[in-house]
Amino acid sequence: MFAHDVVVLPAVLKLYPSTVSLDCRFQAFSPLNFPFGLRRGSRNQKSYRLKAGFWESIRSGILKNNTAQVIEPPSTDEEEEELLPEEFVLAERTKPDGTVEQIMFSSGGDVDVYDLQALCDKVGWPRRPLSKLAAALRNSYIVATLHSISIPAGQEGNGQKKLIGMARATSDHAFNATIWDVVVDPSYQGQGLGKALIEKLIRALLQRDIGNISLFADSQVVEFYRNLGFEPDPEGIKGMFWYPKH
Amino acid sequence: MAMKGRAMAAAAAVHGGYPPTKLHSSLPSPLRIAARIKPNTAPPPISISTNPAHANLHHLKELYAICNHSCQRFPNTDAAGRVEPVDVLKLRTAIAHSSVVVSAFTKPEFLTNQSSTGAEVTSFTGIGGYWITKVAPVTPANGTLIGFGRAVSDLGLTASIYDVTVHPALRRRGIGRMIVQRIVRMLTNRDIYDIAALCSHDQRPFFKACGFGDDTLGSTTMVYTRSPSSYSKDEEMISAGGKLLLVPSPRELTK
Repeated sequence: MFAHDVVVLPAVLKLYPSTVSLDCRFQAFSPLNFPFGLRRGSRNQKSYRLKAGFWESIRSGILKNNTAQVIEPPSTDEEEEELLPEEFVLAERTKPDGTVEQIMFSSGGDVDVYDLQALCDKVGWPRRPLSKLAAALRNSYIVATLHSISIPAGQEGNGQKKLIGMARATSDHAFNATIWDVVVDPSYQGQGLGKALIEKLIRALLQRDIGNISLFADSQVVEFYRNLGFEPDPEGIKGMFWYPKH
Repeated sequence: MAMKGRAMAAAAAVHGGYPPTKLHSSLPSPLRIAARIKPNTAPPPISISTNPAHANLHHLKELYAICNHSCQRFPNTDAAGRVEPVDVLKLRTAIAHSSVVVSAFTKPEFLTNQSSTGAEVTSFTGIGGYWITKVAPVTPANGTLIGFGRAVSDLGLTASIYDVTVHPALRRRGIGRMIVQRIVRMLTNRDIYDIAALCSHDQRPFFKACGFGDDTLGSTTMVYTRSPSSYSKDEEMISAGGKLLLVPSPRELTK
């Protein structure tokens, strides 16, 4: 059943005692994954989460804490087939000097946080701590990126990869999703790339039956999202934000 | 225990001095004074748990049904305005992937006490009996689920609060606020301060009282609502509660 069990087992057993003592299950995962994922937002965290659910059911069965045991924990099979990363060429053009430029879409979430920080600087966003950015990417449900690959004339497969767009969505995997941090390099704007990014995100979410897709748009991009099918404040639903007390 | 005492004090601070008007008219003045000291709007003993395992799915489904709460943004409602019951499998998935899950429990007798018509009688005879039952603690194991809230977060920058519900018989007593404050505290403990809550017009005063407000950056909340224009085979769609949503077709950019 679990072919890769042996590899994951030691890590899970290390986590196992912490899940008993900590209130919030997720607290156990971040310290373990932090050394893995600072530079690249890796998706390895998913497998730890799934295995812990399996062990939790066994523990509860043994301890006879049976308030929630009529329903079984989510099977790993149905979870693993959910988020297969997609990668494909969205557009391709040949420049006058023979260089071929490809715009590559990817939903694998493999983002270099330094590249992302540089991209956010280009669009004028305030700087955010790199560790927080990395954590946010790691724990987002979908991270969609656009890379521009420039292949000089005559050299196949020796492309220079540059991050030119990103969008991510957080979700509870069942009902709600919120899209955050949509950014496209200014020199690549106006070509429908942002639209493609969002449409792919929406498609991925709706195909998993996640029907409440929301986002918080700055005033200058409200029209952009309206054209993509978003409605402002539908039926009086508004977002409120927490204000820290003095 | 300490949490309970603090919560009682907080509730007393907010509600002290403002007994409900129905007590005013029906109680003689000595009891009116007693009611002032121990207002009827104080919450019963509450146990709050942040352990997702304590959120029993069946009880939660019942709580949602009693509150007529749907997890869908635009739910299907029948003629009487009741939303359809929540899909328990989806609820299980949602809870499993929520960063913060808060459940509030109380003793079953506090729930049934509300439905008794003699509200003044229970507060009078309850001064002795209430004190005794107050001593024995509520735990998630022996309590009834009467409140819930959860938040989804990327554990780095942002979080969104969903599905805050309190049993209708125990509303306006600070329980919802306790739940939201616990969620916020769990998030701020992990350095997340960008906390959003999508709410309807009626829920705004509640979140305002919990310390939420309009976005300082003036952003507009937008929800995907595009429906298919025709019911042709070419248009992929999914149903989300009462709404049909158009799935964007996979298209290539031509350039």
